[in-house]
Amino acid sequence: MKKFCVYGKGGIGKSTIVSNIAASLAGDDCIVMVMGCDPKADTTRNLIGHRIPTILDSFRNERADLINLNDVVFRGFRGIYCAEAGGPEPGVGCAGRGVMTAADVLKRLNAFEEIKPDVLIYDVLGDVVCGGFAMPLKNNLADDVYIVTTCDPMSIYAANNISKGIKRFAERGHVRLGGLIYNGRSAVNEPSIVEMFAEKLGTRVVGKVPMSNLISRAEIHHKTVIEYAANSTIAQDFKNLANEVYANSYKVVPQPLSDHDLDGITSEIDLFLREQDM
Amino acid sequence: MALDGGKFLGAYRASLGISDAVVLCHVPIGCHWGGGILAGISRQQDINHVCTALHEREIVFGGESSLERSLLNVASLHPGPAIIVVSGDVPSIIGDDCEAVIRSLDLDKKIALINAPGFMGSMRDGYEDALLCLAVFMMEHDTIEKSVNLIGFCRDDFKVDADIREIKRLLSYAGIKVNCIISNCSFEEFRGAPAAELNVVVGQGKLLAEFMKKEFAIPYIEAAYPYGLEKSLTFVEKIGAALDLSGIAQNELDLESYKKIYVYLQKLNGMPVSIIGDYHSSPMAQFLEDELGFDVNVNSNFEDSSFEDHVASSNSIMIFGSSFELKIAKVLGIPLVRYVYPVFDRVSFCDAPFAGIRGAQFLTEDIVNAALMFRDDYITRA
Repeated sequence: MKKFCVYGKGGIGKSTIVSNIAASLAGDDCIVMVMGCDPKADTTRNLIGHRIPTILDSFRNERADLINLNDVVFRGFRGIYCAEAGGPEPGVGCAGRGVMTAADVLKRLNAFEEIKPDVLIYDVLGDVVCGGFAMPLKNNLADDVYIVTTCDPMSIYAANNISKGIKRFAERGHVRLGGLIYNGRSAVNEPSIVEMFAEKLGTRVVGKVPMSNLISRAEIHHKTVIEYAANSTIAQDFKNLANEVYANSYKVVPQPLSDHDLDGITSEIDLFLREQDM
Repeated sequence: MALDGGKFLGAYRASLGISDAVVLCHVPIGCHWGGGILAGISRQQDINHVCTALHEREIVFGGESSLERSLLNVASLHPGPAIIVVSGDVPSIIGDDCEAVIRSLDLDKKIALINAPGFMGSMRDGYEDALLCLAVFMMEHDTIEKSVNLIGFCRDDFKVDADIREIKRLLSYAGIKVNCIISNCSFEEFRGAPAAELNVVVGQGKLLAEFMKKEFAIPYIEAAYPYGLEKSLTFVEKIGAALDLSGIAQNELDLESYKKIYVYLQKLNGMPVSIIGDYHSSPMAQFLEDELGFDVNVNSNFEDSSFEDHVASSNSIMIFGSSFELKIAKVLGIPLVRYVYPVFDRVSFCDAPFAGIRGAQFLTEDIVNAALMFRDDYITRA
């Protein structure tokens, strides 16, 4: 089973990328499962067409031992198995603990043994803000991690911070950084900057997702691009990315940048913007 | 490892000190069980402490609903005048807004909230802060002349009831009335604490005394726990002096009884012993040295994690401490005299104090008997 998780700054396009990778890989005897680990619970919406009840919804209303697999795992586009951790209302409780609880519920239900997915993808909230959101990095839940980033300084800063979390768990276990996924949906669109950042981290850019209106149009219809515009260029880009991730065997323990080194990256961004202005 | 229960336990013990209030612990059941079992062993009829029983569901979704439900249940089931909410580690970590929950309920009871996550301080910090929170219950009263509040006693302290009885007896000889024992009183007594002419801080509770000085103009003094004859007299004299009263008459002392065990006392004279405890330990050590003639060669407090090592490397023939010291006492094969919280393997419901003049006799008797229960070679270990 190929198990990986996708991290990145909030709003960077993780769910879009995860759902399109899943849609690209599913079918042809490949069983894919996606687990959303964001309290917003919107990772799988484009795979199913609507929001699904979350694991924590069931946990809130039912004794844990009375929850069935069918209550928390749903089939979507191309038979993709979809689950959402969910979480508490904003501002109360502990969403991080919620992710751990949701993972525990799936474990108690023997979800992975029952479903036997060939590919398991975790889509995790913006940053490794606490131990709960680092859950997929622990306990052999995922083998490798991909970080989605744009050229924006804050996105790169977040990616570097996530790398610190990955490094911590990589040194304890087997999880590794599989690479960066470049999202071109940004005011600054210069892939070489992210490539430079990847090199400094000791990894590489495994794929690039260019800006495309088709992504927005597909999402308006609660669909992935793979389903909505299967023959489009952007759909092919997602397929290429999915294949690259699936076949990727180059995994590293990242070497996060110091603040000084990060300043070097942002200086490059500044230089690029000045050149654009001229 | 240092034996400190953390801020939650200190706050919990202070709250239990208002005997007819309900202490509602906003914690997972394990946190409540820990403090509750220590309190329950020494005072088994008390059921005035309950728990919101936070489970995983509350940790994920927040514990505010559980707190609200528990407050409503307590208010409807318990006739007591007040509810004290002691909020522990989990609500602090997940950010429960306990104050808002309490504010949203219109209950016919006084409610105090104490935020006391265990990781935010020591047991002593928890006790001090809790008393300040509980001070909202206090009401301005006319002063009762020559009266004092004794601050620092906990309802689950070993021998506390007998000690208080003895201390009250001694103070009454000097014409001193005890207005309120904090923390071992009723809600009405606590409310009426500002009627005292003087606050006496016995080991802990200084922040409350300072608050009451500022809020109610009640002066305070600090006094060591009255172990032994000398310190008991000093205790009463110090309080009497602060109230412009003469001290206890010296003829209160009855030294005749000590003559009956003169040989044993002589044998123990100069023997090395070790002691550990909280604020009780220093006055106890003074009693052991000054009045019984022991050589206290390890004098430690619960914050010292190396006590057992020090005792093991000493030539102590006896340990004075809590029930937790039984293990090291057994390892070394020397007797343990339990005198300080927590004591959970001995009961103390008879009028046999350790404090005061009578207490000195009972203490001496216990010490000699503890020594006699062990073989001679333990005594000669030194």
